This record gives sequence, structure tokens and C-alpha cells, in this order.
Amino acid sequence: MFILVLKQLRFESTRSILTILAIAGIIAEILILQGFLAGLYAQLREAVVNRGGDLVVTQAGISNFIAARSILPQSVRLEVEDIEGVEEAHPLTGISAIYEEAGRRTPIIILVYDTAGGPTEIISGNLIPGEREIIIDRALATKYGLSLGDPFEISEFEFTVGGVSTNSAAFLTPFAFIKYDDLIDFYFESDIAADIATFPLLSFLLVETKPGFDIPAIATQIEKHIESADVFLPSVLAQKDEALGRELMGPILGLLLFVSYGIGVLIVGMFMFTAVRGRSRNLGVLKALGFTPRSLGIAVFIEASLLILLALPVGILLAGSIASIIQTIAPVYLVLATEPTAIMKTAIACLFFATLGAFIPLRAITNIDPAIVFRS
Amino acid sequence: MLKWTLKNLIAEPWHLFASVSAIAGAFALVMFFEAVFAGESKQIVAYIDHSDADVWVMQKGVSNMHMATSFVSDWKAGSVGEVEGVSKVTPILYLNTVMQAGDKRWFSFIVGLEDEGQRAGPWAIVEGKSIPAHHEAIVPSVLAKITGLKLGDEVTIAGHTFNVAGLSDNTFSMANSITFITAPDLADIMSTIGSMSYFLIDAEPNVDASELALRIKNEVEKVNAIPKERFVNNDWNVAMQMGTEIIGMMTIIGGALAVLLTSFAVYSHTIRRERELAVVKALGVQNRVIYASVMTQATWLAFLGFIMATAMVWLAVPITASFVPQVTLHVTPLGLFRIGFTALLVALISCIIPVRRMLGIDPVHAFSA
Repeated sequence: MFILVLKQLRFESTRSILTILAIAGIIAEILILQGFLAGLYAQLREAVVNRGGDLVVTQAGISNFIAARSILPQSVRLEVEDIEGVEEAHPLTGISAIYEEAGRRTPIIILVYDTAGGPTEIISGNLIPGEREIIIDRALATKYGLSLGDPFEISEFEFTVGGVSTNSAAFLTPFAFIKYDDLIDFYFESDIAADIATFPLLSFLLVETKPGFDIPAIATQIEKHIESADVFLPSVLAQKDEALGRELMGPILGLLLFVSYGIGVLIVGMFMFTAVRGRSRNLGVLKALGFTPRSLGIAVFIEASLLILLALPVGILLAGSIASIIQTIAPVYLVLATEPTAIMKTAIACLFFATLGAFIPLRAITNIDPAIVFRS
Repeated sequence: MLKWTLKNLIAEPWHLFASVSAIAGAFALVMFFEAVFAGESKQIVAYIDHSDADVWVMQKGVSNMHMATSFVSDWKAGSVGEVEGVSKVTPILYLNTVMQAGDKRWFSFIVGLEDEGQRAGPWAIVEGKSIPAHHEAIVPSVLAKITGLKLGDEVTIAGHTFNVAGLSDNTFSMANSITFITAPDLADIMSTIGSMSYFLIDAEPNVDASELALRIKNEVEKVNAIPKERFVNNDWNVAMQMGTEIIGMMTIIGGALAVLLTSFAVYSHTIRRERELAVVKALGVQNRVIYASVMTQATWLAFLGFIMATAMVWLAVPITASFVPQVTLHVTPLGLFRIGFTALLVALISCIIPVRRMLGIDPVHAFSA
């Protein structure tokens, strides 16, 4: 039966190739959309986890690292370091800003750090910025054609690009990293408001604990002793950021995904329907030659499976290629288009609808009188 | 020949239905994506658009609202008010942050309104008050639908609790939702004293907004002033990067897929009629008549596919509004025309390739086959 189906596909090779390409296109489209969502959530999770620390201290009432404005009093750092089991509390400040050059604007998050919380992967330049230097995510470097030594102006305060990092973007926003010494200069010398108290000097504390101490117990002590702060395990904060992303982007991208799935698999089903119906006579002949409806059903199922199996690698390759192109042109997006779970789900959905599409005409065919087939 | 063309088109109704459905599905996908893109594009600048100030004044170095931080000393409102051509100055405080209701969180633009909040406040109210009092918030009605919030319920902004006093309409998009509270409450959240974020400027009649913006920039120290149209454009460009760009990219990818699927459907439809067309040619019908016949069939396929796609999207609009109120769909005539034109173009090109090949075949083969 398998050989018969294979011969049939080879006999109509142009049509088979086009069907495979069309199904591959649908698979790729669904995988890319799922890849956008998966990448978005992954970036949100990694943004806080990549900063380091066993615990993250935020302003009381703030339970997100991304998209929330957290301001901690300076004194909290000493108070946290006084808690038993705390080795060091590394300061980290997050500032939302807009980078503007030649009329183009990009929202960025400036992370100001001292001893922890900086970039994790550098693709060129220094890992630690020098005086008045800034390390920018490669999304910014690509978009604006910036390289090491180039000026990088924010609110008319000029930094120099000292490094280009990767894996440093989240919430569709690239990060830039500076040191605390430069933050003070930035606040005093740039065109920002006269009231410096308005701007955050300390947003988060990345708490490093001493070996052998129980981390949740230290967190409880921090919560108990410092009213103006909340404390989280980085993984918990990461989950909350991901949940925020799901709340924000999930409905809209989920809807697009749902529509893509719905229409995509229906089209796959329709292709199979047309292919099988188009071969009614051949299938009728097979029936007249003694093939049972069950064996015809198996043949159709094998055909659907074969087409999906052949289309799947092409679709994955296509999705991977398009994802690479998107990430090269706009590195702020992480498109995880070849996630095994997504591939599996898409393949099963396509196979189900392809089989369904093929079986609908098959019922009519199995009811044909063999005499009519030969007469025609 | 026209009669034969139409008879030939509907000779296999199931096949015709399948081809039309495939084309419709592919283009419905693009239409839907484009409607989401258009809806979100329109909605992300809703606040600036509806507040309808002639000029926006902000901190020097800032030129938009989305994801921006702007602080201007509040006394500068007086200085701006003295500039020739300024009729009214409405200061607002602004913060983008995460809000919470129960276990739901969302990203929001928080607008802090001064006493007379009508000028910069919500422009359409579904239920409750239009101007918040101390510790009150006006939230988008869409959020109420999603989270089950009712008037009097509590929401949290950066650890501060507010009671929902009103539900506003048309204030929600994927990139931002707009929440209104009082300026003193927001100042408290932001730990700021004596600063506002933006001034909404109403110009006196017959005053040119661009000239007024320039005058404000020249006469008031360390502020930026931008006429509304440019400010909307600046903000739109930034806000588009917060997810709407993804929808744009997916529309392009979906468009490419639709082109591929339409080509395939029309190609398959034409190739199935190869034998009949060869017989027609053998009977002496001119090539241009055969081309016209095949192109008419392709046009019908594209037209029926387009009609079916439009109907699918037309049905999807109210369904989406009911089940996913966060998403704003906006179907534009230009978008429909573009898709219809593309469908037709692709269908015509796709049918020509197999006909050209078929017309090269010796007619004898048609009869011997």
C-alpha cells in the first residue's frame, strides 16, 4: 500500500511538490508566530535571571523587573546587608529612555550597575564600560549602525559605545548598560529635570547570600525587617515578568496564532480533499479490484502522513530561515521558531486535518458502484 | 466561449469550492492580520489623538510619550501660558508602569490629572465618573471585561491602592492601556514634587501650531514643544515597536503565504482542465481566446475567494470583539482593495504558466490521451 501511495505521489510529482510547498508554508507561518511568542517569553524570563543574585529586592508593591518603575531608598542597601546570611547587596537601577538619532526613535532600558547585573554576553568591546562608556545591545548597534567608539547621545548627554552585548533585550526593548559614576554625571549634565529626586537612583538590589544559608529564610528576614521593600527569588520574578508578557501580548498574538492555526489546517484539509477527490476514478478502480474501504482509508492516511512528513522539514527549514532573517535585521526579536513542542503540535494539527480532508471524499468514493467506474 | 468558460469553471463544483476556500482562507488570514495591525496602529496613539492639544510641551530631549520619561517643573506652565498665541495650558503627570487587579497584571500609561481634569481626561465613559477623585482610578472598560473589575473594586499601582470610579471607552491597546488618577496621587507614587510630565497646549484661534511650538521652545528654557501631528507621528513610531511591528511582519509573511496558496490553487485548477483546453485548441479555437477563457476562470476564482475572505473577516470582527476585547480590529477599504488586487494579479499570473505549456502541446496528443 505504501509503495502504491508513493508511486501515486511520484506520478503527479509537480502537484505533490506544490502541495508539500504549500503545506510547508503554512507550517512555517504557524511556527514563526509561535516562535515570536516563545522568544518574547524567554527574553522576559532571562532578563532578570541573567542579572545574577540569589534574591532580588524591589520597591514594596512592585513585583516585576521589566516595565515597572521601582525606586528603593538608598538606605535599604545597608539594611539588607545587615541581615544575617547576606554576603552583599549589589545595586541596580533601571531607567526607561528613548534613544533618538536622525529622526528615528527606539525605547531602551538603561541598566545602571556596579558590581553585578551587567551584560552577560559581549560580542565586541568591553564587558565593563569605562568612563562615560555605554554597552548597547546588538539590536541598537544593528538598527543605527553603531560600533565601538561611536557617540551615543541620550537627553543631550553623550556616551561612547564601549561594547556591544547580545541576549540583552526584553519586552521588545533593547538594554544599554552604564556604571553608577556615569549615572550621576548623566543626571547633572543632561537636559533632564532640575529635580533629581524625581529620577531613580536605586531600583533593585541583587542579593548575594553566604554559602550554607537558607535563601528563602533570608528572604523572609528581609521582608520582615524592611517595610519599604519586597524580595523575590529571581526565578519567581522571572515568572511574574513572563506572566505580564502573556497578559500583554498573549491575547493578541494568541488570537493571530489561533486564526493561523484554524485557517492553515483547514487549507491543508482542503488540499487533501481536492487531491483525493481528483483521484476518485483511480480509487474507484482500486475498490473494483477488490481493495476494501479500510485499505483505501489506510492508503489515504498514508498519503496524508507522507505529505505532512515531507512538508514538515521543509516548513521547519523555512521557519528557521525566516526567523534568522528577522533576527539579523531586527535583533531585538528572539524568534524561537524551531521549538520541538511547537513543531509537534503543528504537525499533529496538520496531520489531523489533512486526514480529515482526505477522508471526507473517501466515503463517497467507497460507495461508488464498480460497474460505473469501469464504464466511465 | 464565455458560456463554455463558465460551464467549465463549475464542472466540478466540489473542486471549485475547495480552490475558492483555499484562496479565501489564505486571504482571510492576511485581511485579519491587516485588520489587527490597522486597529492597533490607530489605538496606540488614541490618547494623544483624542486629547487634541495643538501643541505638546515636554522635557528637553524628549519627543514622544510611549515609554518616555519627561519631567518639567510645574511653574513652567505659567511661563508657557504667557507665550503669545497660547490660549490654555493643561499639565499632566505621566508614568508607564504595571498595574494589578487580583492576580491579573497589565502594562498601563498612568495619566495624573489636575483639578480640572476634563481637558486631559477620558473622552468617553461607559460607566461611573469621568474625573477621578483622591485614591480613585478610571480604567479602560476593556480591562473590566477581562478582569471582571467593577466600580468600587480595587486596583494597585506600584503598591498604592485605588478604587475603580469609572470605566472609560476606547482607551486600550496592546502596547498601552490608559488609566487616569489625580496628579497628586501619581506624584505620590512617583515621589516627585513640583514636576509635571507634559503640558497640553490649546492655541488661540488662527495661530499656527508649528510656529507656536517654535515660540514656546525659544521663550521657555529647557523644554521641547511639538505640534500635535508630529507628536502623534513620533509616538506612533515608538509604540509600533512594542509588538505591533510583529503583527506587521506576520502580515507580510501571511501575504507571501497567501500568494503561494493562491498560485497553487489556481495552477491546480488550470492544470486539471489541460485536456479540455487542448481539445478546444485542436478544434481551432485561437490561443488568445483560450487565454481569455482561462484568465476569466482565474478572475472568478480570485473574485469568489476574495468575497469569501471578506465575509469570513466580516464575521470574525464581532466574534473577536466579544471573545478577545483587548484586540481592536479595523478593516480599511484600502487594505481590502490591496488584497483584492493582489489576489487577482496572482491568480492571473498563476493561470498563464500552465496554459502556455499546454498550448505548446501537439493537438493530436489531446485526442489520443
